[in-house]
Amino acid sequence: MTPPGRARSWDTAPVALLRLDGAGAIIDANDTFRAWLDGTTAPDLRGTRLSSLLSVGGRIYWETHLAPLLRLQDRVEEIAVELRTADGRRQVLLSAERHGGDDPADVVIDVALFDARERSRYERELLAARAEAERSATSVRTLLTTTTALARAAGVDGVCDALVRAAVEEFRADSAWVWLVDATGAPELRAQCGGGPPAGELTTALRATLRDGTAPGGSSRGAGRGAATPVDEVEVTPEGHVVVPLRGADALHGVLVLVPRAHAGDDELDRDALAAAGQQGGVALDRAVLHEQSVSVAHELQRAMLTEHLPQPEGARLSTDYRPAERTLEVGGDWYDAFWVDDTVLALTVGDIVGHGLKSATAMGQLRTVVRSHAERGVGPAQVLARVDRFVQRHNVGFGSTLVYAELDLTTGRLEFACAGHPPPLVTRADGEATFLWTGRWMPLGVASRPVRPPAAVVGDRSGRHLTDRDGEPSGQGSVELGWGDVLWLYTDGMVERHDRPLLTGLDELAQAALGTAGALAGELVSSLLGDGLNEYDDACVLRVERD
Amino acid sequence: MVFAHGFGCDQSMWRLVAPAFEDTYRVVLFDHVGAGGSDLSAYDPDRHSSLDGYAADVVELLDELALGPVVFVGHSVSAMIGLLAAARRPELFDRLVLVGPSPRYIDDDGYRGGFSADEIDELLETMDSNYLGWSEFIAPVIMGNPDRPKLGEELTNAFCRTDPAIAKRFARTTFLSDNRTDLAAVRTPSLVVQCREDVIAPVEVGRYVHEHLADSEFCLIDAVGHCPNLSAPEALTTAMREYLSP
Repeated sequence: MTPPGRARSWDTAPVALLRLDGAGAIIDANDTFRAWLDGTTAPDLRGTRLSSLLSVGGRIYWETHLAPLLRLQDRVEEIAVELRTADGRRQVLLSAERHGGDDPADVVIDVALFDARERSRYERELLAARAEAERSATSVRTLLTTTTALARAAGVDGVCDALVRAAVEEFRADSAWVWLVDATGAPELRAQCGGGPPAGELTTALRATLRDGTAPGGSSRGAGRGAATPVDEVEVTPEGHVVVPLRGADALHGVLVLVPRAHAGDDELDRDALAAAGQQGGVALDRAVLHEQSVSVAHELQRAMLTEHLPQPEGARLSTDYRPAERTLEVGGDWYDAFWVDDTVLALTVGDIVGHGLKSATAMGQLRTVVRSHAERGVGPAQVLARVDRFVQRHNVGFGSTLVYAELDLTTGRLEFACAGHPPPLVTRADGEATFLWTGRWMPLGVASRPVRPPAAVVGDRSGRHLTDRDGEPSGQGSVELGWGDVLWLYTDGMVERHDRPLLTGLDELAQAALGTAGALAGELVSSLLGDGLNEYDDACVLRVERD
Repeated sequence: MVFAHGFGCDQSMWRLVAPAFEDTYRVVLFDHVGAGGSDLSAYDPDRHSSLDGYAADVVELLDELALGPVVFVGHSVSAMIGLLAAARRPELFDRLVLVGPSPRYIDDDGYRGGFSADEIDELLETMDSNYLGWSEFIAPVIMGNPDRPKLGEELTNAFCRTDPAIAKRFARTTFLSDNRTDLAAVRTPSLVVQCREDVIAPVEVGRYVHEHLADSEFCLIDAVGHCPNLSAPEALTTAMREYLSP
């Protein structure tokens, strides 16, 4: 086949050499090329398009990349393609140069193909390793984000919500939902994210999964978790939904169901990472269920201890409001109480136990009882606080908690009060003046048994008359007169404390809001201050007393 | 007249055709997001996982430049992108010129697209083995300077160079999409330009598009390959002129 005048080396060259016309059809090819294609015979290749001898991938690549590049820059180098040969495929590197002008009739393309089987095996291994590394990096990132979201989630609903959000935002599902088995064993939809099919109906297969506690798909693996690895338990339903079991330590809580995105360019769902996320979800649900049980007991306790029926005496109007922290679901340690010391003197208390949960709820109950048992005619706020403080020190209950205790004589309007590390009581007058009572200050309970001086800046506050002993030490209680229409506000730090501003600003806002309320309900003040969700993390409590 | 390039390279694909229309039209060329000199940071895996996302890009472009109604010339996958855009916002399109269109590349019951799903996987493999001069080292240079003038050897293969990850996704979006049912929604008059021999979009696929498109004309040109805009620019230009002349 060697054209006359061409060197013998053309045919014996260790690379395949070809000459193509402008349309990519073979004009001439050397023996090496023929041998690669077919081994022995010398088929007449003239007129055959080179692209038709490539694998389909190579053919498309030729049409979409190589032919345009050859036309645009006259040469291409080192392009990896596969030649279809009699005994399979041969990986080659293709270099080509285009000669001639714009007239297709004048154009020739010289092509050299280098055998690249070894090289290509090596490259594939590298590529596979890189793809695997990238994939696991993505998995780890996805899982980390999901685990963080699960750790932050509060309550069963919070966990379910975190799961469906992670499924859509991190795993990039089109939509996702969580079904949990309820107390009766029936599946219940708990969370949903994204569009997708309506979640009203659970497929029969899923229903069986949840009923039997088996792996999705109802396989014989059954409840025996034995050899099945978590990723085996992630199944794809006939509808194409991916079902991830949410398994707790003892039982199947439910399933996370994902609908994959359907567009051509989308990646597949990462089932390994989903299986791991499902495991984390199961653990998080275990934790959430336990936590909710404890929270509900603590809530019960706290509710039982917050006085439901406040005294409603002649000459004063009492009102209270308590708002638990919205985000944490935790039971805070805030409480209020009001009771008679004698026929005309009313005791008023608001306190805040350090900590959350069951422990602080029981501490609250004890302190409330201690306050009640020490409050007697003739004892007075300073003595009551001193005794409560002693109780805290001796029995190590409610250490560091804060408390304001006040006694209001309804016949005279005289208010005596003492404050253990608690925000100062606020008095709003009928004439529009607001005053914080900075006297009668004590350290928080259990810290020190002595009263402390009020902050220097507010000594001599014109309304809170500061009682002192003869040697100038604070007596530990303050007093003030409440006229008709004046209002006393006792509250906890949840009403005034916020991380993003100084305490004094919070107090200012409280005073302004208190003056601004028109009605006689404590809840009005809470709503006007906390309407924007201020108490995400802390509970808040207000006791309002108006002389009328 | 807006020219949209297909899967593979960039707007340079039109360099032998577009100039022929510059005296009669305001000619606009662009690179799809992810190709050529486009801003790669604009690539959004969600938006660009379907041809609808690319069609939305075209609509945004026409709105932004206040171009409509235009003659839209789409090659290869951009023919489909143009059809989707015209179905969405018909008032922006005067006529469509569809060069080598295919609504679905994979064979299906009673439909011959030319490929099987496995063969598309082969393409993805081939793409994996070829970076066309792309490397992590020079990528930032290209991305940071989309308008940078040619840099000689450094920019070899620049016409077809893009981030391999984006290129692979674009390949999947192109070759795995099924837009056959979208043809019925298009009312804009169109010309289907079909090459005599095209392994990517065979003649029967071109005829299928013509038959399912209302108000379309069919023109078979004597050209081989999938890129008549480079291999047979005169034939393509003539076909377009004849179709567009009043």
